[in-house]
Amino acid sequence: MNALERIARSPIAALEFANIVLTERDAQIAVTPKDVVWTHRTTTLYRYRSANRTYAVPVLLVFALINRPDIFDLRAGHSFVEFLLDEGYDVFLLDWGVPDEADADLGLEHYVCDEIPSALREVRRVSGQEEATLLGWCIGGTLSLLHCALQPGTTVRNLVLLTTPIDTTASLYTSWVARDSFDVDRVAEVYGSVPGRTVDWANKLMKPVSNYWTTYRRLWLQVLDGDARPDAYQAMAKWVADNPPFPGRAYREWITWMYKENRLVRGRMRLRERRADLSAVEQNLLVVTAGADHIAPRQGTLPVLDLVGSADVTHLDRPGGHIGLMAGSKARKEVWPDIAEWLDERSHA
Amino acid sequence: MAEDRLTPEQEARRLYEEAETRVAKAAERVVSRDSFGELLAMATENVVAVTRISFDALDLVWSNLRLAGRRDITRLTRQLGRTEDKLEHVLQEVERLRDEVERQNGAPASATRAAKADGAKPTAAGSATRRRSQRSSAP
Repeated sequence: MNALERIARSPIAALEFANIVLTERDAQIAVTPKDVVWTHRTTTLYRYRSANRTYAVPVLLVFALINRPDIFDLRAGHSFVEFLLDEGYDVFLLDWGVPDEADADLGLEHYVCDEIPSALREVRRVSGQEEATLLGWCIGGTLSLLHCALQPGTTVRNLVLLTTPIDTTASLYTSWVARDSFDVDRVAEVYGSVPGRTVDWANKLMKPVSNYWTTYRRLWLQVLDGDARPDAYQAMAKWVADNPPFPGRAYREWITWMYKENRLVRGRMRLRERRADLSAVEQNLLVVTAGADHIAPRQGTLPVLDLVGSADVTHLDRPGGHIGLMAGSKARKEVWPDIAEWLDERSHA
Repeated sequence: MAEDRLTPEQEARRLYEEAETRVAKAAERVVSRDSFGELLAMATENVVAVTRISFDALDLVWSNLRLAGRRDITRLTRQLGRTEDKLEHVLQEVERLRDEVERQNGAPASATRAAKADGAKPTAAGSATRRRSQRSSAP
Protein backbone atom coordinates (compact mmCIF):
# COMPACT_ATOMS: atom_id res chain seq x y z
CA MET A 1 0.00 0.00 0.00
CA ASN A 2 1.54 3.31 -1.02
CA ALA A 3 1.23 6.61 0.81
CA LEU A 4 -1.68 7.85 -1.29
CA GLU A 5 -3.65 4.66 -0.80
CA ARG A 6 -2.96 4.88 2.89
CA ILE A 7 -4.28 8.44 3.06
CA ALA A 8 -7.38 7.43 1.09
CA ARG A 9 -7.98 4.56 3.52
CA SER A 10 -7.59 6.73 6.62
CA PRO A 11 -11.28 7.70 7.11
CA ILE A 12 -12.40 4.06 6.93
CA ALA A 13 -9.51 3.03 9.16
CA ALA A 14 -10.48 5.73 11.66
CA LEU A 15 -14.01 4.35 11.82
CA GLU A 16 -12.73 0.80 12.23
CA PHE A 17 -10.25 1.88 14.91
CA ALA A 18 -12.97 3.71 16.85
CA ASN A 19 -15.25 0.72 16.51
CA ILE A 20 -12.62 -1.66 17.92
CA VAL A 21 -11.86 0.62 20.87
CA LEU A 22 -15.48 1.53 21.63
CA THR A 23 -16.82 -2.04 21.47
CA GLU A 24 -14.03 -3.71 23.44
CA ARG A 25 -16.41 -4.33 26.35
CA ASP A 26 -18.49 -6.59 24.09
CA ALA A 27 -15.58 -8.99 23.61
CA GLN A 28 -16.30 -12.57 24.62
CA ILE A 29 -13.79 -13.69 27.23
CA ALA A 30 -13.72 -16.58 29.70
CA VAL A 31 -16.13 -18.62 27.60
CA THR A 32 -15.03 -22.15 28.48
CA PRO A 33 -18.05 -23.83 30.15
CA LYS A 34 -17.73 -24.21 33.88
CA ASP A 35 -19.84 -24.98 36.93
CA VAL A 36 -19.96 -23.36 40.33
CA VAL A 37 -18.70 -25.77 42.96
CA TRP A 38 -18.57 -23.60 46.05
CA THR A 39 -19.11 -20.00 47.07
CA HIS A 40 -18.22 -18.02 50.17
CA ARG A 41 -18.66 -14.26 50.43
CA THR A 42 -17.19 -12.90 47.19
CA THR A 43 -15.18 -16.04 46.42
CA THR A 44 -16.36 -18.65 43.91
CA LEU A 45 -14.77 -21.97 43.05
CA TYR A 46 -15.44 -23.17 39.50
CA ARG A 47 -14.81 -26.50 37.86
CA TYR A 48 -14.41 -26.57 34.09
CA ARG A 49 -16.43 -29.17 32.22
CA SER A 50 -14.43 -31.88 30.54
CA ALA A 51 -14.89 -35.39 29.21
CA ASN A 52 -11.16 -35.88 29.02
CA ARG A 53 -9.82 -36.11 32.57
CA THR A 54 -6.84 -38.41 32.29
CA TYR A 55 -4.57 -37.07 35.03
CA ALA A 56 -5.29 -37.99 38.62
CA VAL A 57 -4.17 -34.74 40.24
CA PRO A 58 -6.53 -31.80 39.60
CA VAL A 59 -5.22 -28.27 39.01
CA LEU A 60 -6.49 -25.33 41.07
CA LEU A 61 -5.83 -21.93 39.46
CA VAL A 62 -5.41 -18.91 41.74
CA PHE A 63 -5.12 -15.38 40.38
CA ALA A 64 -4.15 -12.06 41.96
CA LEU A 65 -6.39 -9.74 43.96
CA ILE A 66 -6.12 -7.18 41.17
CA ASN A 67 -7.82 -7.79 37.81
CA ARG A 68 -9.98 -10.82 37.17
CA PRO A 69 -8.93 -14.45 36.69
CA ASP A 70 -10.47 -14.43 33.18
CA ILE A 71 -6.90 -14.12 31.89
CA PHE A 72 -6.52 -17.87 32.46
CA ASP A 73 -9.29 -18.38 29.89
CA LEU A 74 -8.91 -15.31 27.72
CA ARG A 75 -10.53 -16.38 24.45
CA ALA A 76 -11.21 -19.52 22.47
CA GLY A 77 -7.98 -20.85 20.96
CA HIS A 78 -5.87 -18.73 23.31
CA SER A 79 -6.92 -20.07 26.67
CA PHE A 80 -4.62 -21.71 29.21
CA VAL A 81 -7.66 -23.42 30.73
CA GLU A 82 -8.65 -24.84 27.34
CA PHE A 83 -5.07 -26.03 26.88
CA LEU A 84 -5.02 -27.81 30.27
CA LEU A 85 -8.40 -29.42 29.57
CA ASP A 86 -7.15 -30.68 26.20
CA GLU A 87 -4.11 -32.12 27.95
CA GLY A 88 -6.43 -34.09 30.23
CA TYR A 89 -6.39 -32.15 33.50
CA ASP A 90 -9.30 -31.62 35.85
CA VAL A 91 -9.22 -27.81 36.13
CA PHE A 92 -10.64 -25.69 38.94
CA LEU A 93 -10.55 -21.90 39.20
CA LEU A 94 -10.66 -19.84 42.37
CA ASP A 95 -12.30 -16.50 41.60
CA TRP A 96 -11.99 -13.84 44.32
CA GLY A 97 -15.00 -11.99 42.90
CA VAL A 98 -15.60 -8.27 43.15
CA PRO A 99 -15.21 -7.07 46.74
CA ASP A 100 -16.84 -3.83 47.81
CA GLU A 101 -16.69 -1.55 50.81
CA ALA A 102 -18.34 -4.16 53.02
CA ASP A 103 -15.37 -6.45 52.35
CA ALA A 104 -12.85 -3.86 53.49
CA ASP A 105 -12.14 -5.95 56.60
CA LEU A 106 -10.85 -8.92 54.60
CA GLY A 107 -7.13 -9.29 55.16
CA LEU A 108 -4.53 -11.54 53.58
CA GLU A 109 -5.31 -14.17 56.21
CA HIS A 110 -8.86 -14.44 54.83
CA TYR A 111 -7.47 -15.52 51.46
CA VAL A 112 -4.56 -17.61 52.71
CA CYS A 113 -6.01 -19.24 55.84
CA ASP A 114 -9.71 -19.48 54.90
CA GLU A 115 -10.41 -19.37 51.19
CA ILE A 116 -7.53 -21.38 49.70
CA PRO A 117 -7.84 -24.22 52.28
CA SER A 118 -11.63 -24.29 51.80
CA ALA A 119 -11.25 -24.34 48.03
CA LEU A 120 -8.72 -27.19 48.25
CA ARG A 121 -11.10 -29.04 50.50
CA GLU A 122 -13.91 -28.66 47.95
CA VAL A 123 -11.57 -29.70 45.12
CA ARG A 124 -10.79 -32.86 47.11
CA ARG A 125 -14.45 -33.59 47.74
CA VAL A 126 -15.60 -32.98 44.18
CA SER A 127 -12.73 -34.64 42.33
CA GLY A 128 -12.35 -37.52 44.78
CA GLN A 129 -8.59 -36.99 44.71
CA GLU A 130 -6.56 -36.51 47.84
CA GLU A 131 -3.97 -34.16 46.31
CA ALA A 132 -4.01 -31.19 43.95
CA THR A 133 -1.73 -28.88 42.01
CA LEU A 134 -1.92 -25.26 43.14
CA LEU A 135 -1.05 -22.81 40.36
CA GLY A 136 -0.78 -19.18 41.43
CA TRP A 137 -0.13 -16.17 39.25
CA CYS A 138 1.27 -12.85 40.56
CA ILE A 139 -0.24 -12.12 44.02
CA GLY A 140 -2.10 -15.41 43.62
CA GLY A 141 1.31 -17.10 43.61
CA THR A 142 2.33 -15.36 46.83
CA LEU A 143 -0.96 -16.35 48.48
CA SER A 144 -0.48 -19.96 47.33
CA LEU A 145 3.09 -20.00 48.63
CA LEU A 146 1.94 -18.59 51.98
CA HIS A 147 -0.70 -21.30 52.21
CA CYS A 148 1.91 -24.03 51.69
CA ALA A 149 4.25 -22.36 54.20
CA LEU A 150 1.58 -22.07 56.87
CA GLN A 151 0.00 -25.50 56.41
CA PRO A 152 2.69 -28.15 56.04
CA GLY A 153 -0.02 -30.85 56.02
CA THR A 154 -1.84 -29.32 53.05
CA THR A 155 -3.11 -31.51 50.22
CA VAL A 156 -1.06 -29.59 47.65
CA ARG A 157 1.31 -31.92 45.83
CA ASN A 158 2.62 -29.50 43.21
CA LEU A 159 3.03 -25.76 43.52
CA VAL A 160 3.41 -23.62 40.40
CA LEU A 161 4.30 -19.94 40.79
CA LEU A 162 3.95 -17.66 37.78
CA THR A 163 5.60 -14.23 37.87
CA THR A 164 5.23 -14.06 41.64
CA PRO A 165 6.57 -11.22 43.82
CA ILE A 166 8.70 -12.58 46.68
CA ASP A 167 11.54 -10.13 47.38
CA THR A 168 10.36 -6.61 46.58
CA THR A 169 13.64 -4.78 47.21
CA ALA A 170 14.27 -3.86 43.57
CA SER A 171 10.65 -3.29 42.61
CA LEU A 172 9.51 0.07 41.28
CA TYR A 173 6.48 -0.24 43.55
CA THR A 174 8.84 -0.17 46.51
CA SER A 175 10.21 3.22 45.49
CA TRP A 176 6.63 4.51 45.22
CA VAL A 177 4.88 3.05 48.24
CA ALA A 178 7.59 2.11 50.74
CA ARG A 179 8.30 5.75 51.62
CA ASP A 180 6.89 7.21 54.84
CA SER A 181 5.02 9.92 52.93
CA PHE A 182 2.81 7.28 51.30
CA ASP A 183 0.21 6.73 54.01
CA VAL A 184 -1.27 3.36 53.10
CA ASP A 185 -3.38 3.26 56.28
CA ARG A 186 -5.17 6.44 55.32
CA VAL A 187 -5.79 5.24 51.75
CA ALA A 188 -7.30 1.99 53.04
CA GLU A 189 -9.32 3.75 55.72
CA VAL A 190 -10.88 6.36 53.43
CA TYR A 191 -11.69 4.11 50.49
CA GLY A 192 -12.61 0.98 52.41
CA SER A 193 -11.80 -1.05 49.34
CA VAL A 194 -9.22 0.64 47.14
CA PRO A 195 -10.73 1.33 43.68
CA GLY A 196 -9.39 -1.07 41.07
CA ARG A 197 -8.91 1.81 38.63
CA THR A 198 -6.35 3.34 41.00
CA VAL A 199 -4.33 0.15 41.13
CA ASP A 200 -4.58 -0.20 37.35
CA TRP A 201 -3.49 3.41 36.90
CA ALA A 202 -0.41 2.78 39.05
CA ASN A 203 0.42 -0.35 37.07
CA LYS A 204 0.16 1.52 33.80
CA LEU A 205 2.19 4.41 35.11
CA MET A 206 5.22 2.13 35.35
CA LYS A 207 5.43 2.19 31.54
CA PRO A 208 3.40 5.30 30.70
CA VAL A 209 4.23 5.69 27.02
CA SER A 210 3.80 2.00 26.19
CA ASN A 211 0.49 1.71 28.02
CA TYR A 212 -1.14 5.02 27.19
CA TRP A 213 0.15 5.61 23.68
CA THR A 214 2.04 2.79 21.95
CA THR A 215 -0.78 0.27 22.39
CA TYR A 216 -3.22 2.52 20.51
CA ARG A 217 -0.65 3.65 17.95
CA ARG A 218 0.14 0.01 17.09
CA LEU A 219 -3.55 -0.81 16.79
CA TRP A 220 -4.03 2.18 14.49
CA LEU A 221 -1.20 1.05 12.21
CA GLN A 222 -2.56 -2.50 12.13
CA VAL A 223 -5.99 -1.19 11.18
CA LEU A 224 -4.47 1.06 8.53
CA ASP A 225 -2.44 -1.84 7.10
CA GLY A 226 -5.54 -4.05 7.18
CA ASP A 227 -3.99 -6.68 9.44
CA ALA A 228 -5.62 -5.82 12.79
CA ARG A 229 -6.96 -8.68 14.90
CA PRO A 230 -9.88 -7.06 16.74
CA ASP A 231 -10.75 -10.19 18.74
CA ALA A 232 -7.23 -10.45 20.19
CA TYR A 233 -7.00 -6.74 20.99
CA GLN A 234 -10.48 -6.47 22.44
CA ALA A 235 -10.17 -9.56 24.64
CA MET A 236 -6.98 -8.27 26.24
CA ALA A 237 -8.27 -4.67 26.48
CA LYS A 238 -11.46 -5.83 28.16
CA TRP A 239 -9.51 -7.89 30.69
CA VAL A 240 -7.09 -5.03 31.41
CA ALA A 241 -9.97 -2.60 32.01
CA ASP A 242 -11.80 -4.91 34.41
CA ASN A 243 -10.39 -3.88 37.79
CA PRO A 244 -12.18 -5.04 40.93
CA PRO A 245 -11.50 -3.10 44.13
CA PHE A 246 -8.71 -4.28 46.46
CA PRO A 247 -10.14 -4.91 49.97
CA GLY A 248 -8.73 -2.18 52.23
CA ARG A 249 -7.22 -4.39 54.90
CA ALA A 250 -5.64 -6.77 52.39
CA TYR A 251 -4.27 -3.76 50.49
CA ARG A 252 -2.78 -2.27 53.65
CA GLU A 253 -1.20 -5.58 54.63
CA TRP A 254 0.09 -6.27 51.13
CA ILE A 255 1.73 -2.86 50.78
CA THR A 256 3.08 -2.75 54.34
CA TRP A 257 4.26 -6.31 54.72
CA MET A 258 5.51 -6.92 51.18
CA TYR A 259 6.79 -3.51 50.10
CA LYS A 260 7.47 -1.42 53.18
CA GLU A 261 8.83 -4.26 55.34
CA ASN A 262 9.63 -7.00 52.80
CA ARG A 263 8.55 -9.57 55.37
CA LEU A 264 8.30 -12.67 53.21
CA VAL A 265 12.00 -13.05 52.42
CA ARG A 266 12.96 -11.87 55.90
CA GLY A 267 10.93 -14.68 57.43
CA ARG A 268 8.76 -12.27 59.36
CA MET A 269 5.41 -12.78 57.65
CA ARG A 270 2.85 -13.84 60.24
CA LEU A 271 -0.79 -14.71 59.62
CA ARG A 272 -3.10 -15.73 62.46
CA GLU A 273 -0.20 -15.82 64.91
CA ARG A 274 1.72 -18.28 62.75
CA ARG A 275 4.96 -17.46 61.00
CA ALA A 276 5.10 -18.25 57.30
CA ASP A 277 8.27 -20.31 57.17
CA LEU A 278 9.17 -20.83 53.52
CA SER A 279 11.51 -23.68 54.45
CA ALA A 280 8.36 -25.59 55.42
CA VAL A 281 7.26 -25.58 51.76
CA GLU A 282 8.02 -29.10 50.57
CA GLN A 283 5.84 -29.38 47.49
CA ASN A 284 7.24 -30.03 44.04
CA LEU A 285 7.87 -26.47 42.95
CA LEU A 286 7.86 -24.88 39.52
CA VAL A 287 8.77 -21.20 39.34
CA VAL A 288 8.17 -19.39 36.05
CA THR A 289 9.65 -15.93 35.56
CA ALA A 290 9.41 -13.49 32.65
CA GLY A 291 12.53 -11.73 31.40
CA ALA A 292 10.77 -8.41 30.76
CA ASP A 293 8.49 -8.43 33.81
CA HIS A 294 8.38 -4.93 35.33
CA ILE A 295 5.64 -5.71 37.87
CA ALA A 296 7.25 -8.75 39.51
CA PRO A 297 10.83 -8.56 38.22
CA ARG A 298 12.66 -11.87 37.85
CA GLN A 299 15.29 -11.00 40.46
CA GLY A 300 12.48 -10.46 42.95
CA THR A 301 11.11 -13.96 42.41
CA LEU A 302 14.34 -15.96 42.30
CA PRO A 303 15.04 -15.90 46.09
CA VAL A 304 12.17 -18.33 46.57
CA LEU A 305 14.29 -21.06 44.94
CA ASP A 306 16.72 -20.95 47.87
CA LEU A 307 14.19 -20.32 50.62
CA VAL A 308 11.85 -23.27 50.16
CA GLY A 309 12.47 -26.73 51.57
CA SER A 310 11.30 -28.55 48.42
CA ALA A 311 13.53 -31.29 47.07
CA ASP A 312 12.07 -30.90 43.59
CA VAL A 313 12.52 -27.32 42.37
CA THR A 314 12.38 -26.22 38.73
CA HIS A 315 12.85 -22.75 37.35
CA LEU A 316 11.72 -21.71 33.88
CA ASP A 317 12.73 -18.31 32.60
CA ARG A 318 10.97 -17.19 29.44
CA PRO A 319 10.90 -13.98 27.43
CA GLY A 320 7.85 -11.77 27.87
CA GLY A 321 6.18 -9.48 30.33
CA HIS A 322 4.19 -10.01 33.49
CA ILE A 323 1.00 -10.93 31.61
CA GLY A 324 2.38 -11.57 28.13
CA LEU A 325 4.30 -14.56 29.49
CA MET A 326 1.09 -16.58 29.85
CA ALA A 327 -1.38 -14.68 27.69
CA GLY A 328 0.81 -13.46 24.83
CA SER A 329 0.69 -14.85 21.32
CA LYS A 330 3.77 -17.03 21.91
CA ALA A 331 2.63 -18.50 25.24
CA ARG A 332 0.80 -21.42 23.65
CA LYS A 333 3.96 -22.68 21.96
CA GLU A 334 6.72 -21.48 24.27
CA VAL A 335 5.39 -21.56 27.83
CA TRP A 336 2.27 -23.71 28.26
CA PRO A 337 3.84 -26.92 26.85
CA ASP A 338 6.75 -26.59 29.31
CA ILE A 339 4.34 -26.23 32.24
CA ALA A 340 2.30 -29.20 30.96
CA GLU A 341 5.46 -31.29 30.62
CA TRP A 342 6.45 -30.46 34.20
CA LEU A 343 2.97 -31.28 35.48
CA ASP A 344 2.80 -34.50 33.45
CA GLU A 345 5.59 -36.09 35.47
CA ARG A 346 3.98 -35.10 38.77
CA SER A 347 0.25 -35.56 38.22
CA HIS A 348 -0.24 -39.32 38.22
CA ALA A 349 -1.90 -41.22 41.05
CA MET B 1 20.37 -3.40 -3.10
CA ALA B 2 17.43 -1.37 -4.32
CA GLU B 3 15.04 -3.85 -2.67
CA ASP B 4 16.71 -3.27 0.71
CA ARG B 5 16.26 0.46 0.47
CA LEU B 6 13.44 1.83 2.61
CA THR B 7 10.75 3.97 1.05
CA PRO B 8 10.43 7.51 2.48
CA GLU B 9 7.30 6.40 4.32
CA GLN B 10 9.04 3.39 5.86
CA GLU B 11 11.99 5.54 6.79
CA ALA B 12 9.68 8.08 8.46
CA ARG B 13 7.96 5.27 10.39
CA ARG B 14 11.32 3.87 11.50
CA LEU B 15 12.47 7.26 12.72
CA TYR B 16 9.19 7.83 14.53
CA GLU B 17 9.36 4.44 16.28
CA GLU B 18 12.94 5.12 17.29
CA ALA B 19 11.91 8.46 18.80
CA GLU B 20 8.95 6.86 20.56
CA THR B 21 11.17 4.19 22.08
CA ARG B 22 13.51 6.88 23.39
CA VAL B 23 10.62 8.86 24.87
CA ALA B 24 9.23 5.67 26.46
CA LYS B 25 12.59 4.90 28.08
CA ALA B 26 12.94 8.48 29.28
CA ALA B 27 9.44 8.34 30.78
CA GLU B 28 10.30 5.09 32.57
CA ARG B 29 13.41 6.74 33.99
CA VAL B 30 11.32 9.66 35.20
CA VAL B 31 8.75 7.50 37.00
CA SER B 32 11.49 5.46 38.67
CA ARG B 33 13.05 8.56 40.25
CA ASP B 34 12.81 9.17 43.95
CA SER B 35 11.35 12.63 43.39
CA PHE B 36 8.55 11.17 41.26
CA GLY B 37 7.71 8.74 44.09
CA GLU B 38 7.52 11.67 46.49
CA LEU B 39 5.29 13.58 44.09
CA LEU B 40 3.03 10.57 43.69
CA ALA B 41 2.76 10.10 47.47
CA MET B 42 1.81 13.76 47.93
CA ALA B 43 -0.73 13.65 45.09
CA THR B 44 -2.24 10.49 46.58
CA GLU B 45 -2.53 12.13 49.98
CA ASN B 46 -4.34 15.12 48.46
CA VAL B 47 -6.75 12.95 46.48
CA VAL B 48 -7.47 10.85 49.57
CA ALA B 49 -8.08 13.97 51.66
CA VAL B 50 -10.50 15.44 49.10
CA THR B 51 -12.29 12.09 48.85
CA ARG B 52 -12.64 11.92 52.61
CA ILE B 53 -14.10 15.43 52.80
CA SER B 54 -16.57 14.60 50.00
CA PHE B 55 -17.61 11.31 51.64
CA ASP B 56 -18.10 12.96 55.03
CA ALA B 57 -20.12 15.83 53.57
CA LEU B 58 -22.34 13.48 51.56
CA ASP B 59 -22.86 11.21 54.58
CA LEU B 60 -23.85 14.21 56.68
CA VAL B 61 -26.41 15.39 54.13
CA TRP B 62 -27.76 11.87 53.78
CA SER B 63 -28.07 11.19 57.50
CA ASN B 64 -29.81 14.57 58.03
CA LEU B 65 -32.36 13.48 55.45
CA ARG B 66 -32.86 10.39 57.67
CA LEU B 67 -32.03 8.04 54.80
CA ALA B 68 -29.86 4.93 55.04
CA GLY B 69 -26.41 5.99 53.91
CA ARG B 70 -23.25 4.30 52.70
CA ARG B 71 -22.10 3.48 56.22
CA ASP B 72 -25.41 1.94 57.21
CA ILE B 73 -25.47 -0.30 54.17
CA THR B 74 -21.83 -1.28 54.69
CA ARG B 75 -22.56 -2.14 58.32
CA LEU B 76 -25.48 -4.33 57.31
CA THR B 77 -23.53 -6.07 54.55
CA ARG B 78 -20.67 -6.77 56.96
CA GLN B 79 -23.11 -8.35 59.35
CA LEU B 80 -24.34 -10.56 56.52
CA GLY B 81 -20.74 -11.46 55.70
CA ARG B 82 -20.06 -12.47 59.28
CA THR B 83 -23.20 -14.62 59.30
CA GLU B 84 -22.04 -16.29 56.09
CA ASP B 85 -18.65 -16.98 57.69
CA LYS B 86 -20.34 -18.69 60.62
CA LEU B 87 -22.61 -20.70 58.31
CA GLU B 88 -19.59 -21.82 56.29
CA HIS B 89 -17.86 -23.05 59.44
CA VAL B 90 -20.98 -24.98 60.47
CA LEU B 91 -21.28 -26.54 57.00
CA GLN B 92 -17.64 -27.58 56.98
CA GLU B 93 -18.03 -29.13 60.41
CA VAL B 94 -21.17 -31.02 59.31
CA GLU B 95 -19.36 -32.32 56.25
CA ARG B 96 -16.37 -33.39 58.34
CA LEU B 97 -18.64 -35.27 60.73
CA ARG B 98 -20.51 -36.89 57.85
CA ASP B 99 -17.22 -38.09 56.36
CA GLU B 100 -16.29 -39.49 59.74
CA VAL B 101 -19.59 -41.35 60.03
CA GLU B 102 -19.18 -42.74 56.51
CA ARG B 103 -15.67 -43.90 57.38
CA GLN B 104 -16.91 -45.60 60.55
CA ASN B 105 -19.65 -47.31 58.53
CA GLY B 106 -17.00 -48.84 56.33
CA ALA B 107 -17.38 -46.74 53.18
CA PRO B 108 -14.06 -45.01 52.41
CA ALA B 109 -14.67 -41.27 52.27
CA SER B 110 -12.65 -40.84 49.08
CA ALA B 111 -14.71 -43.51 47.31
CA THR B 112 -17.91 -41.79 48.33
CA ARG B 113 -16.55 -38.48 47.14
CA ALA B 114 -15.48 -39.95 43.82
CA ALA B 115 -18.93 -41.47 43.36
CA LYS B 116 -20.50 -38.08 43.96
CA ALA B 117 -18.10 -36.47 41.55
CA ASP B 118 -19.28 -38.90 38.89
CA GLY B 119 -22.87 -37.91 39.51
CA ALA B 120 -23.94 -40.74 41.84
CA LYS B 121 -26.83 -40.08 44.18
CA PRO B 122 -25.48 -38.52 47.37
CA THR B 123 -26.11 -40.29 50.63
CA ALA B 124 -26.53 -37.25 52.85
CA ALA B 125 -29.00 -34.61 51.80
CA GLY B 126 -27.49 -31.51 53.45
CA SER B 127 -24.30 -31.18 51.49
CA ALA B 128 -25.83 -32.24 48.20
CA THR B 129 -28.59 -29.65 48.49
CA ARG B 130 -26.01 -27.02 49.22
CA ARG B 131 -24.11 -27.80 46.06
CA ARG B 132 -27.19 -28.13 43.89
CA SER B 133 -28.42 -24.73 45.00
CA GLN B 134 -25.10 -23.18 44.06
CA ARG B 135 -24.66 -25.00 40.81
CA SER B 136 -25.23 -22.85 37.81
CA SER B 137 -23.79 -22.80 34.36
CA ALA B 138 -21.25 -20.23 33.50
CA PRO B 139 -21.01 -18.36 31.28
